[in-house]
Amino acid sequence: MTISKTQRGRAAAAVSLTAVLALTATACGDDGSGSGGEGSGKGEITFWDNNGGPRTAIWTEIIKDFEKKYPDIKVKYVPIPIADVQSKYDTAIAGGGLPDVGGVGTAYLANMVSQEALEPLNKRLEGSTLKGKLVDGMVQSVTAAAGRGDDLYSIPTSANNGVLWYRTDLFKAAGLEAPSTWPKFYEAAEKLTDAKNNKFGYTIRGGAGSIAQALDAIYGQSGITSFWDGDTTTLNDPKNVEALEKYAALFKKTTPAADVNNDFTKMVAQWDTGTIGMLSHNLGSQQDHLKALGADKFAGIPAPIGESGTRVQVSNPVDGLGLFRSGDNKEAAWKFIEFAASHESNSKWNESAGAIPANTEAAKDPWINQTESTSLAAKALTDGSTTIVDLPYYLPDWNNISKADNEPEFQKVMLGKITAKAFLDKMAKELNEANKEWQELGNG
Amino acid sequence: MTAALAEKNSAPGQAARPTTPPPSTPRRTKRERAFDDVPRWQIYLPLGIYLVFTLIPFYWMFLFAVRPAGSTSLVPWPMTGDHFSKVWNERSFGLFFQNSMIVGIATLIATTLVALAGGYALARFDFKIKGGFMLALLCSQFIPGALMLVPLFEIFKNLQLINSLVSVVIAETVFQLPLSIILISGFIKNVPVTLEEAAWVDGCSRFRAFCAVVLPLLRPGLIAVGSFAFVHSWNHFLFALMFLSEQDKQTIPVGLNTLIGADSVDLGALAAGGVIAAVPVVIVFAFIQKWLVTGFSAGAVKG
Repeated sequence: MTISKTQRGRAAAAVSLTAVLALTATACGDDGSGSGGEGSGKGEITFWDNNGGPRTAIWTEIIKDFEKKYPDIKVKYVPIPIADVQSKYDTAIAGGGLPDVGGVGTAYLANMVSQEALEPLNKRLEGSTLKGKLVDGMVQSVTAAAGRGDDLYSIPTSANNGVLWYRTDLFKAAGLEAPSTWPKFYEAAEKLTDAKNNKFGYTIRGGAGSIAQALDAIYGQSGITSFWDGDTTTLNDPKNVEALEKYAALFKKTTPAADVNNDFTKMVAQWDTGTIGMLSHNLGSQQDHLKALGADKFAGIPAPIGESGTRVQVSNPVDGLGLFRSGDNKEAAWKFIEFAASHESNSKWNESAGAIPANTEAAKDPWINQTESTSLAAKALTDGSTTIVDLPYYLPDWNNISKADNEPEFQKVMLGKITAKAFLDKMAKELNEANKEWQELGNG
Repeated sequence: MTAALAEKNSAPGQAARPTTPPPSTPRRTKRERAFDDVPRWQIYLPLGIYLVFTLIPFYWMFLFAVRPAGSTSLVPWPMTGDHFSKVWNERSFGLFFQNSMIVGIATLIATTLVALAGGYALARFDFKIKGGFMLALLCSQFIPGALMLVPLFEIFKNLQLINSLVSVVIAETVFQLPLSIILISGFIKNVPVTLEEAAWVDGCSRFRAFCAVVLPLLRPGLIAVGSFAFVHSWNHFLFALMFLSEQDKQTIPVGLNTLIGADSVDLGALAAGGVIAAVPVVIVFAFIQKWLVTGFSAGAVKG
């Protein structure tokens, strides 16, 4: 077959044209970081829910109430899966298309603030009905997490708290007291274990999210109350090393061997099968336990108390709502934030989520005391009985250090491939360097 | 000749009966004979064990999907349809299914059509940058989709295609095309060009000759490429998550991910969603597996 020169030319031209079009297209666009505007206070606003799916029903209800109160404003609700919310925000920050309002957790707040995506809210809060009605601790937590001094970039809506869930029926049968102290916890873990019959005292988190849980156990036992001692982290303090050695030694002794890969879904599902005595998680899994075990077979208490006699816990992420700089209708967006954080909506949302409200009036609502675990968690955060060790969410490298870089290392500790000291020394070194870099940028 | 011989040998006055030759048995190769000598259990036991391992995750998914919340039974009894009802009605999986179907079918059509044109050009024409173009197609397979997210996002934003299923179809098609073009080009090369030339001599245009002569012979390749494009776009999560920011535009993989919360997971609903997501893929593979294997092996080896 002979192919003419004209045909060859056409083929080459077609390929070239395609390449040119592709290159031209990739050169277009802006970074999506417009300064936005106040707008008329009417029209449509877009809201991204950072825990889309589980909270869709309650947000739909709150949006319906909001649109009833403000008929001129329509809220477009977009549920984003929690696992991918940060990448969704990052893509929209880089490429444009951010919403007017979005759910923002303290774990990635600093990252968004450093990209200038969010607007400071101090002035708006001053003139708002929300002034003085937000739990101080949570406001301080989100302010610190943003890492920009006193600037507030997120209106807190709820907080979670670590809970030690335990099987009341198994404890009763074994003649054990509630694991309110660390010695009682270790005793129960050992007594409830019958590995031959696939029964274990505890399930440890070895997969995704393992570091936060391990830090809770470390500081809870050592009684050290601050993450920093000057510019150096207390993480590898000898007391913490000792605590981690004891905690990691539970693996395979009083826990299933599969725990080395446990993320929270596997850990919760495993505990809900009913053969494990204790589980460290937070208030969020309460509904799952209720469905699986029934109300009379389990209870939850805040973390056990250490030898110091004071309960010490690491800070849990605080969830909030952020106002985006690029929004064209900030007045309407702020009205939505105010409404969502108001007494009625905040109470409704937190009751549905089983979390602790950020609105002080909502925090006094009767439903809080109806569930013991929620009531105890709320007290732990507000009555001064618990010392909270604030984790450095504001460090831009915090997520990398506490997740991708060191979760595999923690697995090595569990498997006995490295020592607890080597692990904590490595992580402490990385944190000290990250803190130094952050301070050199004029922060802190 | 056989009939004549039969007539000659038959008794006088007796009608000659046609004789049929004994059926010839095809000669079996040495390998086939060796295969026949292997005891059946040595074949079926490993296959059975492999099958159990393969099916356990599916059984587990089915079990969680149909057993009531809180049940720890290892058999799917008693059964409930609550989880299916929940994800289909309350969690909008009906809508997600429809959106995924639109994306899957549109990607299948677009990928197949463009790959046919591109594959034909590569198979039948010689042009200066052909070698480089083939290399570029191969190299494009090494670029992860995540790397292209921001540029693609900007392109679609400028084209006002964000929040439109069209953006996902375009992105999926573009990422499917290199492999599809290479596969189709291999198939077209296997069709003798003389067949087309004969059609041209009979008065067909190039396009008519392609449609009448080449296209029917490409069926295994088209099925392989089309099904691969459909299944890939059906399962792909990233583009749908990033380019679609409205609930009623989302697809099944994004919907499945929204069933995993920050602190809790509805395993029953997640499993039911997984079953719904798996059904079309299983059906596609069940109907086309013969063509799929033929298609991929032919395109890969001879191309």
